[in-house]
Amino acid sequence: MSHPPRRSSMLSTSSSAQTVTPSEKQVPPQPQLQTPTQSNPGLRVPSNRKTIYDRHLNRSRNAESSRASFAFLFGEMVTYAQRRVTGIQDLERRLNEQGYPLGLRLLDLLFYRTMSSSSSSALSSSSTSASPPNRPLRILPLLHLIHGPLWRLLFNRPADALEHSVSPDTPNEYMITDNDPLVNSYISVPKEMNQLNCAAYVAGIIEGVCDGCGFEAKVTAHNQPTELWPSRTIFLLRFGESVMEREKVLERAGVK
Amino acid sequence: MTSPGDAAPVKPPPSFSPGVPRVSSKTRYPERRDSSASLDPERVEPRIASPPTIPLSNTTDLPIRSGSPSARSVRSTTPQIGRTSLGSPLDGRADSALDTRSLIIRSFSPVVGVYSSPDTDELVRQKGFKGGFWELIRPFGENVPGKLVIRDSIGSSRGWEDYGVRFVDLGEICRAPNDPNQGRSSPLAQVEAVLAKQLDSTDGPPSGAIHPQDLVGLSSTSPLYKLYLRQLLSIASVSPHETFRHPVASVIAISSRNSAPLESLRQLYADTNNGQRKVPEWIHPEYLRYYVLVHDEDRDDITASTKLYDQMKRHFGLHCHLLRLRSNQCVVTDDDSVQVPECEWLSPSERLSERPEPLVDLDSDGLLYLFDSDVMAIKGFVRELIAQSVVPFMENRVAVWNDQVASRRRGISGRFMSMSRKWAGFGSSSRSSSGSGGASGNYNVSQGYYHYDHSEAILRKMADYAFMLRDWKLAASTYELLRSDYANDKAWKYHAGAYEMCAVSTLLNPLGAGSKIKVEAIDQMFDTACYSYLTRCSDAPTTLRCLTLAVELLRSRGGSAAESAAKWAMRAMDLGLVESVGQGLLSERISSCYASRPPPNGVRFGGRRRKAGMWSLFAADMWLRLGKPALASACLEEAERLYADVLGSDGVFPMPEMQTFVDNLRLSVKVGYLEARGLDIKEETGSTDPLDDEETSEKLDRRMNRRSLIGNLNPLDTATLAQLQTTRDGDSVPSDDFERA
Amino acid sequence: MSYYFTILSPTDVPLFNIAFGTSKSGGDGIARFRFPDAAQNTYMTQFIIHSSLDMLEEAQWMGGNMYLKHIDTYPPASAYISAFLTPSGTRFLLLHQPPQPNLPASGAAGAGGSIGSSTMSLSSSGMGGSGLFGGSGMGSSGRTSSSSIAANPTAPQTEEAVRQFMTEVYEGYVKTVMSPFYKRGMEIRSPVFRSKVSAAGRKWL
Repeated sequence: MSHPPRRSSMLSTSSSAQTVTPSEKQVPPQPQLQTPTQSNPGLRVPSNRKTIYDRHLNRSRNAESSRASFAFLFGEMVTYAQRRVTGIQDLERRLNEQGYPLGLRLLDLLFYRTMSSSSSSALSSSSTSASPPNRPLRILPLLHLIHGPLWRLLFNRPADALEHSVSPDTPNEYMITDNDPLVNSYISVPKEMNQLNCAAYVAGIIEGVCDGCGFEAKVTAHNQPTELWPSRTIFLLRFGESVMEREKVLERAGVK
Repeated sequence: MTSPGDAAPVKPPPSFSPGVPRVSSKTRYPERRDSSASLDPERVEPRIASPPTIPLSNTTDLPIRSGSPSARSVRSTTPQIGRTSLGSPLDGRADSALDTRSLIIRSFSPVVGVYSSPDTDELVRQKGFKGGFWELIRPFGENVPGKLVIRDSIGSSRGWEDYGVRFVDLGEICRAPNDPNQGRSSPLAQVEAVLAKQLDSTDGPPSGAIHPQDLVGLSSTSPLYKLYLRQLLSIASVSPHETFRHPVASVIAISSRNSAPLESLRQLYADTNNGQRKVPEWIHPEYLRYYVLVHDEDRDDITASTKLYDQMKRHFGLHCHLLRLRSNQCVVTDDDSVQVPECEWLSPSERLSERPEPLVDLDSDGLLYLFDSDVMAIKGFVRELIAQSVVPFMENRVAVWNDQVASRRRGISGRFMSMSRKWAGFGSSSRSSSGSGGASGNYNVSQGYYHYDHSEAILRKMADYAFMLRDWKLAASTYELLRSDYANDKAWKYHAGAYEMCAVSTLLNPLGAGSKIKVEAIDQMFDTACYSYLTRCSDAPTTLRCLTLAVELLRSRGGSAAESAAKWAMRAMDLGLVESVGQGLLSERISSCYASRPPPNGVRFGGRRRKAGMWSLFAADMWLRLGKPALASACLEEAERLYADVLGSDGVFPMPEMQTFVDNLRLSVKVGYLEARGLDIKEETGSTDPLDDEETSEKLDRRMNRRSLIGNLNPLDTATLAQLQTTRDGDSVPSDDFERA
Repeated sequence: MSYYFTILSPTDVPLFNIAFGTSKSGGDGIARFRFPDAAQNTYMTQFIIHSSLDMLEEAQWMGGNMYLKHIDTYPPASAYISAFLTPSGTRFLLLHQPPQPNLPASGAAGAGGSIGSSTMSLSSSGMGGSGLFGGSGMGSSGRTSSSSIAANPTAPQTEEAVRQFMTEVYEGYVKTVMSPFYKRGMEIRSPVFRSKVSAAGRKWL
């Protein structure tokens, strides 16, 4: 049972970091975050005249947030989601919904960071040498994006496995395995709820990424414990019919 | 005299079933056009073939028809514009492209001159044809009955059902160059006038040109557009730079009344050679002469005529025909009367001047009738003329010229020759004149033509012959050969014509031979042709013809070519070549070009629905401004159909100004439509208001941010997308303090 | 050169609009669109943008670049559309209309001059008289060649300038999206964002 001490970089967007978690609503909003999207004429500009548009998105890219605070925060999120739920499925659905918008946002942030790091840090530089990353057009590049860069952005390491369903009936199913999901590290699920996997939150993030890229998908988290990895979790991705049809067309067209 | 068996196909009983499909077209164009048959060409499709059946669709004039049940149903459905008329079987979807193709091909038919003796014209005038023999046979030349077999340059034969020729008064050809337009308005203005006239006569409140949208969803060609196309292709007059309007043959006719028949024939022939019927020197004078003896069945002795005919054959060879006609005038009440078919290819000026006649003297209903026996005789004559004389003659000319002129030009020496032409004085060419100043010197710069026996003119003629014989491969390669020659000589109109026809014949050449056409190359050719026509020669009508040919032929190719077609149509509008009605028609055409490119199976991208919808809306706007709410309404409906896939289920445009524009348009169309209907109460209007279903609630808060980005077609899972929506729109647990980001 | 910039959600809902003119080579930064009919000014830009989505959707799946370059042309108004696609499917569309060198002739005949101006991005190289044709096209656009961008909407310099502009807008967009108070599909109403976009327009276009 070796738990390599992993640091979460999940909430590493520093001052605007709170944005990444959808449950932030309950946190009293800080005024400087509020300004840009307020529609009321009395725009409240922060005293230091710095809006979110003046902050650099990359400054916090290597900053890491404390695992303890994350554990606490996530615990609160689960508790929050648990209110008046009808069952485990309902709870997982709520966790999934919390993750979904985060996935959409992370997608943009991820590409932005890759883009700006590949060119020099200053966007204004006119160097054209660096080619920005490609949007995934086919399923496989998308899965690699999730398995690699996305996982690294969230957990500072890639996911542990990526598999395709072997059953001919379900060619649209793919699996991403995380041997020890960070979100479950400090969560002990009661026996009567042993179906529950709080990584449904991460499944929601994945779903957001897929959907954002134009791959309609349904993602669920499932417990698959092994001797070595008691909290091993499999994320099952089921792509929609339209995605599979498009796959065929794009394959014929030779798009990679 | 007339065998009843002959009459049968011509005049079927009222319940004649082929009448049923016509119901649809009548639904769209109910009133006047039935008698005037103005927009009828789609009924005169080659496949329906026999022209005499046309008058049968004439509801108003034939009492026997109006009593038939099908006719009555026509009347009752007339006012309903909209898709009620869609289901008719004849509105075949696939045929649309073929139709336009066939139309274009037939517009380039060989021209056969007609030169008849005064006694012949006199005989025919007795029958009621004021224009004489030419007017009598003219309509019958446009569709040669039966299949016509043509051999191409490599010896393979193909049969054509829709072959035809254009009979033209020979005098007109010879007169033409002196007075091109006779000071009348320009041909384009005439086309516009014809269209406007057509619109006014058909756009009675309830009718309007509803486009036969077929069931598959591809827009087909509206009848009005076909009229436009036909008119545009008919305006070309005889000109040096292309030989389509030069006579391929000429019919020389005398009648049995002639006292000195052989001398008359000789005199007529001499006239065509150096008399008043001598063609200008840019027209090849060695066209086929065909001698016809018109025998008067009612007054003259057939044995005498037969004897004379045998004499003719001895003197003039095989190209002779004995045409037996009755000289009495036929009226509608005669047992075996057949209405003379309308001419399909009337030039715009003819349409403008001739159309009012049937409207004026409605008593005699202005229509001409012929005895059935006459019709059969004329048809037999036309078929024999074309199948046994004209086509073989053309085939022969193409073969000879190809052998003597083109092959030399194509060979190594020919290439060298054309090179040497560029360097003046290098090696005297074997042709009549040596080059000077980079040009061959064959081109008569001041007059702007090549003499008919110069190789440039002969090659062009050969290419045109090949084109008219539908040997597009040979035609294309010959035009290609000519392009540089004309450029060297700065014969810009010839130059434009060669580029134009090269592109056209390349496009007409069927795909079969593995010839993948490159749209870019075609575009390039049209581009050059257009530039030469318009900028160098200021020939707007021909430019428009060229552009329209580009649009239609590219469109019929489908795929990316259809997109290119839309661009050419935009170019035509952009250059200001068309006026208001034309603008509307072209907008519709652009829309249909884009609509003919559906997304590939299985995916939702790759179509051009938004573009098609947009142009349809623009067309609606234009029709409305022209005061044609019925047409506008049809376009609006079409636009809705096209937009259906890309807009949400509520059919609301995401962009506010667009929505405002569309809302205003709908309102104005509705108002205009109701006003027009209110003015004419006599018209029984259908109870169904076609605009009812177009009402769209002006929802201001349009669909909010859908959560799923693409999956709204089949939401994968109830747990996520669908439920999200429902929970947002008001959950069953109102006090739920669970919030979503 | 006049510009109309729009951000559309993946479901075609407009999130942000701005119209501006070039600030290069003495431009005053005010958009002056020319459409055949002045009444069309309000909606034509939107129609053109909307219709170009057909092309965008196709380009979206044919290549993985975020910047899709010049994707569509609307010849009647010589309007060009460039597009940028964020990974989450939001579309940035820039309509640019070069200043008209010579007004389109309305007469039927002799309108030769307008051919050049309305050249529909057909490659005008090659045979026959096309050289002359291409020449006239170049001539009409060369008149404004002091600014490389305004000269030719499909030139590489223009593509690069638009790319820079798009990238800069993308940065602002990501920052907007990261805000917890921004929900997906919401209109972007921040004046700061707007000023950032127009600053980027001044800088690059």
